[in-house]
Amino acid sequence: MMIPQVLVNAAGVLADSDSDNHFPPSVKDFYFPALFNQSLYPWLTKFTLLVWLAVALILIFFWSGNRSPKMVPTKWQWMTESLYGFARNNIAVEMIGAEGVRFAPYFTTLLSFLLVTNLFGVVWPILISPNSHIAFPIILAVISYVMFNYLGIKRHGFWKYMKISLIPPAPWFILIILIPIEFASTFLIRPFTLALRLFANMFAGHIILLVFTLGGFALLGANAVAIRPLSIVSWAMAIALTFLETLVAVLQAYVFVVLTSSYVGGALAEEH
Amino acid sequence: MTGDRPPQSPRDDDEAAAGVNQGWTAVSYLIGGIAVWGFVGWLVDRWWHTGGIATAVGAIVGAAGGVYLIARRLGA
Repeated sequence: MMIPQVLVNAAGVLADSDSDNHFPPSVKDFYFPALFNQSLYPWLTKFTLLVWLAVALILIFFWSGNRSPKMVPTKWQWMTESLYGFARNNIAVEMIGAEGVRFAPYFTTLLSFLLVTNLFGVVWPILISPNSHIAFPIILAVISYVMFNYLGIKRHGFWKYMKISLIPPAPWFILIILIPIEFASTFLIRPFTLALRLFANMFAGHIILLVFTLGGFALLGANAVAIRPLSIVSWAMAIALTFLETLVAVLQAYVFVVLTSSYVGGALAEEH
Repeated sequence: MTGDRPPQSPRDDDEAAAGVNQGWTAVSYLIGGIAVWGFVGWLVDRWWHTGGIATAVGAIVGAAGGVYLIARRLGA
């Protein structure tokens, strides 16, 4: 269902591709021009619209499911409750404990947003995720970073929070080695990897799909006739990898939320 | 009758979440250790012109520290 449209799009792309090469795909494929007026609304790109669309879809999903909630839920209401229940019980409570319930609304929001935006990458006719542009994962990671540090400092006070975060139980001469590692891993590597993991997965997934779909056309247009049938193999790979990318999209949404909740849990805990 | 029911165990998903978390914690300690002390070693190299030896020593010490932290934080 999604693949034929890819082919149609790519065919259109290829028709006028002699002058500006679309194969191999490059980082340029992730920078979209402004939709209307470059000087007035440079920020209004395809990604901006996709983020709005994601927010609208999530609002509609939860609103229409819970407009008149029933004791015996309708199917739609059951779906919204399952998603919330999953974020609440299997992520928030599991990682943080009973106290985690108060973060469940944010984790549910984050999980839905990531699920929808990640899945944009494999759903026709969008076929690209805003998270394949590093700006979006960075903002989400910054929210998580500020959140867990704020909560930790609020709970313990600044110095005690630093002590809990940075000083593991160990003799002092080992601590000299360990404290810089703890600092780097908690305050530098965490936000960096949180953003990078999501971005890299979405970016690489999109590049791979581009390589195999556009590569199929490159093979089809090859001068050596014997090579042309190989385009079938390339497109078969594109279809197979679309399923893989669907899995990656869901998994990365889950991983991002689990890690955020674990950071929050770690910041709130008395001891590690 | 309720006693006949097997204990409710949502443990599969729970362990998945904990496993994801522990895996990334371990990776970040290891990379953090090597990066931080490797960087210190690199600075020492630049300072004393020791030609990479201090970087190597730093990276190994950092890796050892990372492994120690993994054992301490995740092993107990």
